[in-house]
Amino acid sequence: MAEIRLNNLTKRWGDFVGVDDQSLHIKDEEFLVLLGPSGCGKTTTMRMIAGLEDPTAGEIWIGDRMVNDDLPKDRDVAMVFQNYGLYPHMTIFDNIAYPLKVRGTPKADIEPRVKKAAEQVELTEFLHRKPKALSGGQRQRVALARAIVRTPKVFLMDEPLSNLDAKLRVTMRAELKHLSRELQITTVYVTHDQIEAMTLADRVAVMKNGVIQQLGTPDDIYNDPANMFVAGFIGSPAMNLINGSVQSGMFVTTGGTKLVGIGAPDRETAILGVRADDMSVHDAGQGDIDVSIYAFENTGESTLLTVQWGKQRVIARGDRHLRKEQGETVGIKLDPDHLYLFDPDSGDRIRLGGK
Amino acid sequence: MRDQTLKYLLVVPAVLVVFATAVWPLIESLRFSFYQGRTDRGDFPQNWLGFENYTWAFLYEPAFWNSVWVTGLYTVVTVTLTTLFALGLAMLLAPGGKLRSGVQTLLILPFAMSPALIGVSFRFMFNPEFGLFDAFFGVVFPPLADVSWLADPDLAFAVIVMADVWGWIPFLTLVLIGGLASVPQDTIEAAQVDGASGWRVFKDVTLPQLMPVLAVVIILKAIFSLKTFDQVFMLTNGGPGTATQTLSHYIYITSTRYGQVGYAASVAWLMVIPMMVLTYFYAKFVFKKD
Repeated sequence: MAEIRLNNLTKRWGDFVGVDDQSLHIKDEEFLVLLGPSGCGKTTTMRMIAGLEDPTAGEIWIGDRMVNDDLPKDRDVAMVFQNYGLYPHMTIFDNIAYPLKVRGTPKADIEPRVKKAAEQVELTEFLHRKPKALSGGQRQRVALARAIVRTPKVFLMDEPLSNLDAKLRVTMRAELKHLSRELQITTVYVTHDQIEAMTLADRVAVMKNGVIQQLGTPDDIYNDPANMFVAGFIGSPAMNLINGSVQSGMFVTTGGTKLVGIGAPDRETAILGVRADDMSVHDAGQGDIDVSIYAFENTGESTLLTVQWGKQRVIARGDRHLRKEQGETVGIKLDPDHLYLFDPDSGDRIRLGGK
Repeated sequence: MRDQTLKYLLVVPAVLVVFATAVWPLIESLRFSFYQGRTDRGDFPQNWLGFENYTWAFLYEPAFWNSVWVTGLYTVVTVTLTTLFALGLAMLLAPGGKLRSGVQTLLILPFAMSPALIGVSFRFMFNPEFGLFDAFFGVVFPPLADVSWLADPDLAFAVIVMADVWGWIPFLTLVLIGGLASVPQDTIEAAQVDGASGWRVFKDVTLPQLMPVLAVVIILKAIFSLKTFDQVFMLTNGGPGTATQTLSHYIYITSTRYGQVGYAASVAWLMVIPMMVLTYFYAKFVFKKD
């Protein structure tokens, strides 16, 4: 068990910058998720921690040892790969036993430990099979068992759920969470799926273009995004971003509609961020603005209204019993406590009155 | 004319050509192998001998057994050496390996050369008076400079092996590079993280997954080694004496120089036996069903 420190870590391939001078301190027993779109440097960061990629500059510390020059085998980490990385010619038992075997574990110890790991991921009955004979979810469990069969300092998980179908992913997510609470080993988890990040993480690092945009608890990331990228990346549906300006304390849309009072100094251009959940749907005339419905969707647990807002479309979430027709006019009210203002040029957050 | 009929008619010329150049000679050679077929007597072939040609080879011809021994040894040595060298090179040249494309192209060259050219070049390089090795050793290690490489039975054998291995490495390397590329990278990385050293990753993960391709390569090379003729003919002509005479060369000499076509045909058909065995395993690996 150990903490991980990345000091000014950089990875370049020629002119392409994969990870750009990033520092990160992952606490002992913490579950840290690296979240971002593909090509943001999250997998590269993890592979550098594993030793599968050499950093161009910077230091990697696991516990009190700088591991830059250590081979992967000497770093005492365990990794779960996106495509599982199972050994196709070995049985499930041998797959799980391999990390123990190569590390010279006494034969008598191997069997009970493999059995215990297999039990933890509910695989006991498949130990004699080959990976080919297992389903995707079962293979994923084998990869997990292989990681937990010994007690490494660090777990690394590279999009471990992304090859599973949607239903299985939800089940496996809960199992992962359960397992990680039980094992209490420092874990770095890479994903592009914000739900996985929100549900699993103690802290999330949102990355873009090799730079960590925000590091914080899932709460922070969702409720207090540092910039427009984080705001737009987290949440489903994505946060609405409305173009406009601030005039005498009011946010005014590009179309000229005075929308809502916000405590910010006047500025010519601004982007207002508001989540679908922070808008309420009322009858026409009862909200901050009257808009017509472009599309009405019923997802079962709620309803989504895409409304025409001048030249833009905005998504609001309504009660699951709400029924509206396309073309109808409704009033939309914004929750003044959950509005975000951004600088359209830099994407930076403009903090509103004391927040 | 209906398409059904036409499509068969269109194939007929090709079938006829194959029949005339491959099937018919095969059948004829099988027929000759049961006759006394000497080209230096009239009325070819002469007497029906049944299996006498075959038993003769086994019972009364030390030259036959010599060529069997030479061919066997040659096959084992060249297959082993070529495979080992090719595997090493493929590991260096494969994606993620330490050498790359420019070198890769350069290494194909030997395979592009005709066997005759390879033979002539090696023969010239090993010439004891003005060959490359003579010049090289003349500077580096004079005692080896005047060795008549091709006049010594063991050295001559070694030279042929060398020429053959040199010529075949590129092809085997190419096939193995393809095989290595199909080994999933994440299994290798998983093994590295699991704690395996470079050698153990190779032994436990890479090699077992490369095995099907490796088996095909070994069998294919064994087939080609068994029927080696060109290098022997160009470099030593089977000599000194019969020290480097392979089965193919023995068949060639008995049929053309000694005119014993019937007997040569029976030896050729004896060679079919190991070939069939190898081909069986080759087909088994290539068309393996999961």
